[in-house]
Amino acid sequence: MTNDEKQSVSHQAGAPPTPAPLPLAGEGKTERGSPRAFWRRGEPQVWVTSAALTIMLFLIILLLWVVLWNGLGVFWPARVAEVTLKDGKKLLGERIRGQINPDTDVKSIQFKTGNRDLDPHQQDFHWVEDGEIRSIEFPPEVYVLERTENGNFYGFLRRLEGPDLEPSETPVAEDKVRFALKTVRRKSAEEIAPISEELRDLGRRLQNARRRIRRLEHRGDDERLAELRTGADDITRKSDELVGWQRRLLNELRRNVVVTSDAGGREKAIALLDVVRFYKPNEMGFWAKCRYYLLRLGELFWENPRESNTEGGLFPAIFGTVMLIFLMAAACFPLGVLAGVYLGEYAKDGPLVRAVRIAVNNLAGIPSIVYGIFGLGFFVYGIGGLIDAWFFPESAAAGEPVFGTGGILWASITLGILTVPVVIVSTEEALRAIPRGVREGSLALGATKFQTLVRVLVPMASPGMMTGFILAMARAAGEVAPLMITGVVKLAPQLPLDGEFPFFHLDRKFMHLGFHIYDVGFQSPNVEASKPMVYVTTLLLLSIVLAMSSAAIVLRNRMRKRFLARTI
Amino acid sequence: MRAVFWSTGRKRRRYTIFICNTQSYRRSTPPCRMAKNKSSSRKAKIHDRLARWAITLGGVAVIAGVIAILLMIVSVTLPMFGNPDVEPLGACRLPSASSVPDVLELGIDLDIRGAGGAVFVWFGDGRVDCLDIQTGELRAEQRISPPDGSEGSALIAAESIGANRFWLAWSDGAVKLVELDHTDARGAAAGLSSSESGTAGRTSSGAPGTLTCRTLAELPGLKNSNPTLVVARRSEDGTITRAALLPEGRIRVRRLSAAEDLFGDVEVETHESEIGDEVVRDVVAMTMDGPGDAIYAGSDDGRLVRWQLDGQGRVDGREVVNAFKDRRAVTDLAVALGDVSLVVGDERGGLTAWFAVRADETRKMRLIHDLGGEGGPVRRIVPSRRSKSVLSLNANGLMRLDHLTSERKLAAINADPPLRKIALGERGDAAAALDASGGLNVWWIGGGCPEISLKTLFGKVHYEGYDEPAYVWQTTGGADFEAKFSLVPLLFGTLKGTFYAMIFAAPLALAAAAYVSYFTTPALRGLIKPTVEIMATVPSVVIGFLIALWLAPIVKQGALAFFISMVSIPAAFVAFMSLWQLVRRINWVKRAENGFEFIVLVPVLVVGVLAAVWLARPVEARLFDGNFLQWLFDGPLGMKYEQSNCIIIAFGLGFTVIPLIFSIAEDSLSNVPYSMTAASMAVGASRWQTLRYIILPSASPGIFAAVMIGFGRAVGETMIVLMATGNTPIIDWSPLNGMLTLSANIAVEIPEAPVGGTLYRVLFLCAVLLFILTFIVNTAAEVVRQNLRNRFGKF
Repeated sequence: MTNDEKQSVSHQAGAPPTPAPLPLAGEGKTERGSPRAFWRRGEPQVWVTSAALTIMLFLIILLLWVVLWNGLGVFWPARVAEVTLKDGKKLLGERIRGQINPDTDVKSIQFKTGNRDLDPHQQDFHWVEDGEIRSIEFPPEVYVLERTENGNFYGFLRRLEGPDLEPSETPVAEDKVRFALKTVRRKSAEEIAPISEELRDLGRRLQNARRRIRRLEHRGDDERLAELRTGADDITRKSDELVGWQRRLLNELRRNVVVTSDAGGREKAIALLDVVRFYKPNEMGFWAKCRYYLLRLGELFWENPRESNTEGGLFPAIFGTVMLIFLMAAACFPLGVLAGVYLGEYAKDGPLVRAVRIAVNNLAGIPSIVYGIFGLGFFVYGIGGLIDAWFFPESAAAGEPVFGTGGILWASITLGILTVPVVIVSTEEALRAIPRGVREGSLALGATKFQTLVRVLVPMASPGMMTGFILAMARAAGEVAPLMITGVVKLAPQLPLDGEFPFFHLDRKFMHLGFHIYDVGFQSPNVEASKPMVYVTTLLLLSIVLAMSSAAIVLRNRMRKRFLARTI
Repeated sequence: MRAVFWSTGRKRRRYTIFICNTQSYRRSTPPCRMAKNKSSSRKAKIHDRLARWAITLGGVAVIAGVIAILLMIVSVTLPMFGNPDVEPLGACRLPSASSVPDVLELGIDLDIRGAGGAVFVWFGDGRVDCLDIQTGELRAEQRISPPDGSEGSALIAAESIGANRFWLAWSDGAVKLVELDHTDARGAAAGLSSSESGTAGRTSSGAPGTLTCRTLAELPGLKNSNPTLVVARRSEDGTITRAALLPEGRIRVRRLSAAEDLFGDVEVETHESEIGDEVVRDVVAMTMDGPGDAIYAGSDDGRLVRWQLDGQGRVDGREVVNAFKDRRAVTDLAVALGDVSLVVGDERGGLTAWFAVRADETRKMRLIHDLGGEGGPVRRIVPSRRSKSVLSLNANGLMRLDHLTSERKLAAINADPPLRKIALGERGDAAAALDASGGLNVWWIGGGCPEISLKTLFGKVHYEGYDEPAYVWQTTGGADFEAKFSLVPLLFGTLKGTFYAMIFAAPLALAAAAYVSYFTTPALRGLIKPTVEIMATVPSVVIGFLIALWLAPIVKQGALAFFISMVSIPAAFVAFMSLWQLVRRINWVKRAENGFEFIVLVPVLVVGVLAAVWLARPVEARLFDGNFLQWLFDGPLGMKYEQSNCIIIAFGLGFTVIPLIFSIAEDSLSNVPYSMTAASMAVGASRWQTLRYIILPSASPGIFAAVMIGFGRAVGETMIVLMATGNTPIIDWSPLNGMLTLSANIAVEIPEAPVGGTLYRVLFLCAVLLFILTFIVNTAAEVVRQNLRNRFGKF
């Protein structure tokens, strides 16, 4: 620091409210520990700043705790209570939480009672006032049946009925039900699955035929059109027949039921085909519960969602998110590295480069929704519209644009542009952190600039560039707003990558974990019932993003240390 | 052989670079081969040059891309402010036998842009011609007879009311509502039930077409009276109302209401009444609203009158306004779409719009929009059926199209010879005009967003149904609904949310940054800083979900405890401080002051929160009548507590912004050279004094940059505000209710916005505003940061 600067600093710092400039602390050793010195030395202010840190860390821990607490416990089977009310009514359910009404001071407990189809109001949850309860028991023979429709069923197993099953005693033994379940499933796999397969195939063929018909209609080729139309009609007729056949078979299979009874003793027949799994939560031991937990985790990762996304798995959303990130990376990394290398190595320092640097930093600060609307206007309607006009005029004319509507390609390119500044900045910083001597050494040895770059600088900067890549991917994984307007949907029937030619279907819409949270949490009709699923999704997304960013930051800090030690 | 070693970190990887004139190529692929191998050296040079071009090109392209993004968004918004295109669609001439003064009214066929686009021309002898605008031929002709009992009277007026329907009035006051249907000979013949079948036009080329005319309603003439002005309307339920201005200064009203009785029989009731006001004597222009419930009249001394009719056609309310101080005559009136605004043309060529506004418990007609204009008296005003646009013609022959709400002059056409009659197409996108020499021109008026002007976007606009000009954002509504595009509530909402977030986040993050960079131990710092940086990547959708579905209900339930905690936590802190100054004499306790203060404070924070929770119920019972939220609403504050409010938003946005501010501020604080700290300490300053008087002034630009970047981030945050605010576009500073921000608005509205429509473009404008807002803030921050970097780079 030069003398002038020092003076200016002290000048700025001067003129405190008290007449004495810079009130000096510690006048005499005796006073140092005294309360007066404590205040005069500004210790309380230090404590204020530390309080800010306490609050900040508290908020961070609170956030993580809420997500972990609510997310981790979702799949852990809860005990099912049998609540007997004072008026003799009984209900079965998992205790969710208690609450005290501030006006009346009455404590009430919320139970998840399931059995939506038996409830007159189609409710899964019920509040019971504490005073109404006579007793709460946990009978061991209570079963929870997870169903493909109408949520959980809480009750007791009575007997089996159905054409394919042996009549059973009442109450039926658990392994008999398991065996019956297996039988029905096997039958369904043998009889119905081939039909479904064929139907899917027919559907594909019909879709292709329709597309061809549209193209011919567009061209006005009447001869072949008639031929194709009859072909399409044939397919339709055939698939209608098959659908009817399938429905008959299904109805037949559905007649195999397990008769259950709820807390009040009302009997209810549940088709075995609709039962996903059943278990006895009150009898399960720790390891049984663990097994169940893992089972549910497996379902979460590999199954499709059920019941308007509030049950079942997250496979399509996970798949969509991962594929989105990889496509984004393909769009973003080359561009980002190119620009970063240009800024770091090739651009001559001057007002232009300075402006460019400001622009890049600005780009990082532009709200993501602005990128989204840019992607919509430029990629979807602009380029997508052009592609449609050139290659798929018949689809565009029929109001079913192929690329002229949101899809995974446009969403990932939009995200790529959004994350490009992260890569640019980190590439440039990594290159700039390399001491001059290395470059000069390489050049002095006769290497060209490009050789220096490729063989010396890039390997050295690679951890820093890697940091940028990972940070960009973490950002892309968590970003939702731009996706909402460039092609994410709540339920995509087909994955963007499958076994059907040409395998990558970049025009398809996709599902995404972040959007899943928004959609299930805020757009679903039954918010209370969907909350557990949202917490699980949140936990999953958060752990993906945090894992990525922790890796990136650890990597960066290591690299920084390495170079800090060297540059001095 | 000489080698340069570059050791990197713990692994001690070696980058070995060989000097080239040695022969030892033992290591794999040495970076260069000079002199010895000429071709490979040339190859390397070519590679180098290619790479230089490619990299430079790529780099520049990326930067050009940034600018292209802005230009692209701006280019979508720009057409909004341009005037619509006016292109000639076709022209034809009146048939030679007819003369211009005979023409009563023009009408434009529904499909004017199609192959058989046609124009209808009504003549005084009851004839209507259908003219092809492409070929100029007479396509078909039709003669309409007056209703029974009025034979022999002449057609005195025809008024187009859209959808090829016309009200015709005869000299004795008889009226008829007819619908024209014209089929091109080339098209399929329409088999409509018609009361009078058309005659095929016999023109030179003989392109025959048919013109069918269906009578939808009619009223017989007045006895022994020849009214000067006749206006008739039919409401949607079939009630027909006619007002006839008699020469002796009275208005005779006849109302035919069809009512269905209990047995399903339709009973027609006829009511007659008369308006005998003194003002009627001066009336020179008259019109009615769409259902025929109000009669508007203008006098030759600048007065406007409104008579409200009841179900029996009697006058229910009456209002006279002295519209013009200079007592200029009113020359024509029209009611704009929505049946609220009255458009008044005067003798000086001025156009004004009026509607009734509540003032002192009564509704009074007020001047709302002054569209200006000069020249001769306004001859004719034609309102659009689709928007609040009006087409008007003055005596000088100038035709102009104006939009009422935005007060924009959309198009003006002045032809020579002057125009005499005008018509507006069904969709408001075509205009036809007949000039004095019998030439008939049709123009296409398309594109543009007539309802948008800088004033409607950023100024207060007096919309129909509002009592005063206001900033309104409202994009969906009923059938006659007018979309209201004021961006002010959105800008306000954005700044409001950001403001509350910043007053929560900035002090917290800056104080914590100061503590971490100067008072805590390096080990803790190495732990806390990465943690906070990792928290910066928490997806906003996660935060939005948590604060909306977890935090908001809790804060609502414990609203009072929350407010008490704002006092109780500082109180606990102060109490702790006064205790600490005594306790710290103990040596091992004092050790906490070596950077572990924040751990000591955890119990203090817990005590503060618990105290708030514990105090909440007694305080609520004692001070707030047992219900704090109710008290907020009923009490002196009068604020309604909404579950999704700014406190929640402040937490949510704060959570995204705190790590950002913290990390940048911490960087700039710890970049201040250690020599300065050392010097300050050496002269005896305490650690706080060093921070306050030495470090802070030096790092202040960096802190400014941190706050700016945090601000920019909060402004553009979308998911959190989308999920946790009510998304209501209100202008209210209260922290207890929500708002609608620019970013959330884009996310909410863009799926509904038709591409290229007004809403679509306005949303792009929202994006431009966001872009500019963040651009300014970020540029400022970046310039400051670069200066700071240069300054401390010298050390």
